[in-house]
Amino acid sequence: MNALQCLHRGLAIAATALVMTVSLPALAQGNPQKGGTLVIVVQPEPPTLASYQSTAGPVGQVATKVYEGLLEYDFQLKPAPSLAQSWTVSPDGKTVTFKLVPNVKFHDGKPFTSADVQFSVMEVLKKVHPRGVNTFRAVTAVDTPDPMTAVFRLSEPAPYMMMALSSYESPMLPKHVFGSGEIARHPNANQPVGTGPYKFVEWQKGQFMRFDRNPDYRKPGLPHLDRIVARFIADSGTRSAAMETQEVHMGGFNAIPPVDVRRLEKLPHIDVTNKGYEMQSPIVQLDFNTTKPPFDDPKVRQAVAYAMDRKFVLDNIWFGFGRPATGPISSNFKANGLYTTADVRNYNVPNGVDLANKLLDDAGKKRGPDGVRFEIVHDVTPYGEEWRRFGEYTQQQLAKVGIKATLRVEDVPGWLRRVYTNYDFQLTSNWIQTLADPSIGVHRLYHSGSIKAGTVFVNNSRWTTKETDELMDKANVELDPKKRAALYHELQRRVVEASPLVFLHELDFVTVYNKRVNGFPLSPLGLYSSMDQVWMAK
Amino acid sequence: MVWQRSLSYALRRLAQAVPTVLVIVALNFLLLQLAPGDAADVLAGEAGSATPEFMAQLRQTFGLDQPLAMQLLLYVKNIVVFDLGFSFRHNMPVAQLIGSRLFPTLLLMVTVLLVAVIVGTLLGAFAARNLNRWQDNLISMLTVLAYATPVFWAGLMLIVVFSIKLGWFPTSGMQQVAAFHEGFAKVRDIAHHLVLPSVTLTMFYMALYARLMRASVLEQFSMDYVVTARAKGLTERQIARRHVLRNAVLPVLTMAGVQVGALLGGAVVVETVFAWPGLGLLAYESLFARDLNLLLGIFFVCTCLVVVVNLVVDVAYSLLDPRIELR
Repeated sequence: MNALQCLHRGLAIAATALVMTVSLPALAQGNPQKGGTLVIVVQPEPPTLASYQSTAGPVGQVATKVYEGLLEYDFQLKPAPSLAQSWTVSPDGKTVTFKLVPNVKFHDGKPFTSADVQFSVMEVLKKVHPRGVNTFRAVTAVDTPDPMTAVFRLSEPAPYMMMALSSYESPMLPKHVFGSGEIARHPNANQPVGTGPYKFVEWQKGQFMRFDRNPDYRKPGLPHLDRIVARFIADSGTRSAAMETQEVHMGGFNAIPPVDVRRLEKLPHIDVTNKGYEMQSPIVQLDFNTTKPPFDDPKVRQAVAYAMDRKFVLDNIWFGFGRPATGPISSNFKANGLYTTADVRNYNVPNGVDLANKLLDDAGKKRGPDGVRFEIVHDVTPYGEEWRRFGEYTQQQLAKVGIKATLRVEDVPGWLRRVYTNYDFQLTSNWIQTLADPSIGVHRLYHSGSIKAGTVFVNNSRWTTKETDELMDKANVELDPKKRAALYHELQRRVVEASPLVFLHELDFVTVYNKRVNGFPLSPLGLYSSMDQVWMAK
Repeated sequence: MVWQRSLSYALRRLAQAVPTVLVIVALNFLLLQLAPGDAADVLAGEAGSATPEFMAQLRQTFGLDQPLAMQLLLYVKNIVVFDLGFSFRHNMPVAQLIGSRLFPTLLLMVTVLLVAVIVGTLLGAFAARNLNRWQDNLISMLTVLAYATPVFWAGLMLIVVFSIKLGWFPTSGMQQVAAFHEGFAKVRDIAHHLVLPSVTLTMFYMALYARLMRASVLEQFSMDYVVTARAKGLTERQIARRHVLRNAVLPVLTMAGVQVGALLGGAVVVETVFAWPGLGLLAYESLFARDLNLLLGIFFVCTCLVVVVNLVVDVAYSLLDPRIELR
């Protein structure tokens, strides 16, 4: 390369840099424009708007526009004010006091007070919310010394509870609406009244939900949008087409399948992001039935863990959306120090197949004359096409180490019944959202107390040890972040060593959005946030 | 006189249908019990987690803790007074849910049936009148093509061409959600959205009816009464219009009547591809959600629809062909 070329290139880089510095702030900040309708494609259609008793993913995408929680969270997974403007935790961790934002009104004009907090937590979330029953198990009472103060009384410290107070996880309901009548089938379930930036207008089943701007929203000047419409399109090809024709502006949680994302992101009007899912942290895994041969032997389980080529699976089946997983806790928890790889057994090694063969030999599973050590049935989790591909890959990879696997594919209810009630499986693919705190999302997979036939997405491998149970019990009540992190580091070492599940990769959901959409995502809650600061360029 | 007879015939037929419908209801109920897993499993599955107490509470609310015979008895008792029950998944009465989805389904179905039967019979008759000429060959070729094309693929291709490339029609849905039109604009908007799904579905059925009609017309033209008509000096055109067409259309009508049931279910593909908010899609979703109350309700409504449509077809026979008596 001669000097002149160097100069040219240097200039070009300088020019590009200049253009970028000039245009970036304009893009990132710009002046929010008022008005407009944001159309989000939500898949599948939510069964209900009652986010206080269904945590189904699509429910969260719509109900969070209407209801608010006490707290929000930033990308460091630190709590931030929402309906509570400040909070204090007593030194013993057993009293949490929330100061509420004054002059907040529900959509029907009635004021929001601590009585609503008390009602929502004690009468609704603690009783009918699928996860709330667990999250608020330590809460014995919510006191209301004055309308703007809510005091949570706890039987033991509950650091995890502070991670579960978002509008998605713990919506605050109006007592004057939901206080009368049976909560489980309340007439207002699908006529939500909240404090959020958008008011519910109508739900045409099978078509759309409409939310209009709340003019009395507590944050002045917000929301920017006039309206948010959630649309339901059952066919993935059509969802992508609607994105392409700009009939819809946004779709997340893989509403646009990964295979189409790679095509759509090349279009001039479309952008994609994997941010805004940091409080979901789904992990792709293979669950063993550890109570029966052959997978009652840790060596055999480790062999399967070694046999899988994580990079191949990620690149070819999930189109690169994710990172290899190293254990039960997602690397998203690097942000608050809970995640570690130090002294954790690493199965993601180039010579995995050789190691697997050796382990199986050691375990006494000799190859027969046809090269097969033993046969199993591999269940495929019924959540979409990519899981079939993953099942076929697993089948081929296991064949390499002498395990002959037959695939079994059922529909969702059938699979749930088999894996979580009847335990009639040997090896099944699965994916688990490890959520905002290990105490809520991770313990359920390993604690002996979570072996509960008939309850889904809990400990179905039925592997437990006294030591790991103790680690989790301690972490539940440990207030010191450093000590708590140390407990989780030890848990990761022990679980990964025993390998009751194979940890494949941390799944990245992708949000595909029209470039006219700005101000998204501003928090790890992404599509589960209120979207009060989202705006549309004209 | 004719109308009076038709009416009493219709009433008698409806009365006869009642036990049939009840047997179907009971069979549906028992068949659906064979599917593994229940609505509580699904709800908890979607929630991502649940406690055993919560699951037990759900099953109790859904009435799933009752013995099977008791559940069936209760269901049939309610059906008799047209109480379709409550969908716990949707938190809505089943009748209300089905009601909101019935209009889009009927709109799509009636459009498709009318266009398919009218255009199909005309094409078939036209092909038969031009037997083995280029018109006949062209129509035959096109109908085979339309009949052999999978519906979901045809739908996606229409979207690619007419929505993405040309931008003439919306990809999906029943109305433009960013605009929320009212009044006449809304009617126009819905019609605009109806074009692609109905074309997709019509192609298939039209092809079927065209081929049926062609064969039927050819057969009728070889009948003795056509020779008689020629002998008394009628023109070919008169023979075709007055004698042959009326006879030839009967098999098409039979077919259309039988297919109403299939159309209700078969529309699920089109409803999925075009996000048309119909009953087929609702049935499909409720099957995978094990929302049995809703599914049984949909089956019940479909059963009733099929009974009524077949009655209408039988009455139509007698109007087209006075030789057929209603008894």
